[in-house]
Amino acid sequence: MTEQAVPQQGFLERHRKVLLGALAVAIFFAAWQAVFLVVPFNPLFISKPNLILGSFYTLLIDGDLLRDLAISAVPFVYGFGAATVVGVTIGVVMGWRQRVGYALDPLMTIFYASPLVALAPLVIVFFGVGVSGKAILIFLLSVFPFIFNAQAGVRAVDRLLINVVRSLGGGERDLYLKVIVPSVLPYIVAGARIAVGRGLIGILVGEFFAASEGIGYAIARFGDLFALDKMFACILCIMIIAVVMTEGIRWAERAAFPWRVGQ
Amino acid sequence: MTDTRALKADIAGDADAPPRNPWRRLEPAAYGCASIVAVLVLWEVLPWIFTLSAGTKLFFTTPSQIGGTLWKMFATGSIWTPLAVSATGFAVGLGLAIVVGLPLGVLIGRSRTLNAMLDPFITAFNATPRLVFLPLVMLWFGLGLWSKVVIVFIGALFPLLINTYEGVRNADKTLINVVRSFGASEWDVARLVVIPNSMPYIIAGLRLAIGRAVLGVVVAEFFGAESGLGVMMVQAAGRYQVDVVFSGLIVFAAVSLLMTAMVQVLENRLSLWRPQQAGGE
Repeated sequence: MTEQAVPQQGFLERHRKVLLGALAVAIFFAAWQAVFLVVPFNPLFISKPNLILGSFYTLLIDGDLLRDLAISAVPFVYGFGAATVVGVTIGVVMGWRQRVGYALDPLMTIFYASPLVALAPLVIVFFGVGVSGKAILIFLLSVFPFIFNAQAGVRAVDRLLINVVRSLGGGERDLYLKVIVPSVLPYIVAGARIAVGRGLIGILVGEFFAASEGIGYAIARFGDLFALDKMFACILCIMIIAVVMTEGIRWAERAAFPWRVGQ
Repeated sequence: MTDTRALKADIAGDADAPPRNPWRRLEPAAYGCASIVAVLVLWEVLPWIFTLSAGTKLFFTTPSQIGGTLWKMFATGSIWTPLAVSATGFAVGLGLAIVVGLPLGVLIGRSRTLNAMLDPFITAFNATPRLVFLPLVMLWFGLGLWSKVVIVFIGALFPLLINTYEGVRNADKTLINVVRSFGASEWDVARLVVIPNSMPYIIAGLRLAIGRAVLGVVVAEFFGAESGLGVMMVQAAGRYQVDVVFSGLIVFAAVSLLMTAMVQVLENRLSLWRPQQAGGE
């Protein structure tokens, strides 16, 4: 009996965090909705949750939202994919070959520290407002987390394992495939989590600047049109996507590399 | 939290024994300088090796041109006005983020209820690129200083908040209990144990926040400002003055690096009392 009673009693306590969080979100939206019972509502300045939900539904049904998202996703996939491949390669070599690390580290630090978004006008002018311009912007922004994390990962590789593989006659290729890649992977995934956020910035910058389609363009246009309910719907949509991607990677990290939990 | 640089420093610290040969000590710096020089030289001579088409030439600049432009900007003083405008937005936004972020971080670190309630909002706002709010912020605050301040604030707040929270959470429970046993109030616990212990985390958060604040200034000025360094760069890009764009980028990068270095100095000063093994992530 007591064995059964304990988990039942603990339900509220165990899910306390989730419940409180949900409660807070509910209170937030309720307060947002309720405040306009007291304060006069000006649709040119602010929107209400029910209107936002309505236009979210409309945009979804019309397919506008999905079309914009699909258009924005293409350069993201190209840019982010290229950043993964190039960044991990450079990072692994930098971590593994000490002299390459010495040579490239200051250069990469300078690039990482400088707000590369500032090159956006140039990239757009040079490569145009299409897929290539946006993809290059996304690549530029998201490549550095991969480089630095891959490098840190390689440097954290257990020397003992390397010596073991070498003693047993493993070549350079065996080292890369059997020791370095498995131990570097968690670092790369952590880098991907940072890079996702920066990649999203890349999309938005590219599309705010000069685009005729895409989710960033939709937000800017609805803002210009004072269609605040639609703009809020798009903003919420981006927020959801960002949270799902970041938390999804975090979840994958916990599932795939449980020994790294807590780091 | 996501600061891999600190991690790397630790690894380098225990892996590399103190080098005896002076060349081995100079090696990293030598290679680093050599690669930077090589890139600059290559960039400089590129137009001599390849004949650039007229169209490409429009977009091309060389390090010497950039240096000349930068020198001219400082010599004539034309950089100071936009730089001052950008710096004001940066300073006010970052200052507000510190003033709000640190106490809030301590609060959610100490109160589990508050933490659970605010967690969804913090997660959502931290994951979302704050650029997405820019059209809205411009609608609310106009083209002036305050849009910029808000964007910088949103960007810088969350690294500070989250790192303070992490630091507070990792404070030594034994120390807290000891201070409590001696009759300390919640404020005393915060002042004596929690805040000193979370300093390394706060500093790491500050370093991230500076980067994000600079980024915030740049994007806010690109889309919603009338003056400032970012505005100067966008206008220059429109006129194909590539050297001016790069000069702006260099100034932003220099400010970013300088601020980070200052934070490093601050950290060293503040952690003098700390035993060797302690420290943040």
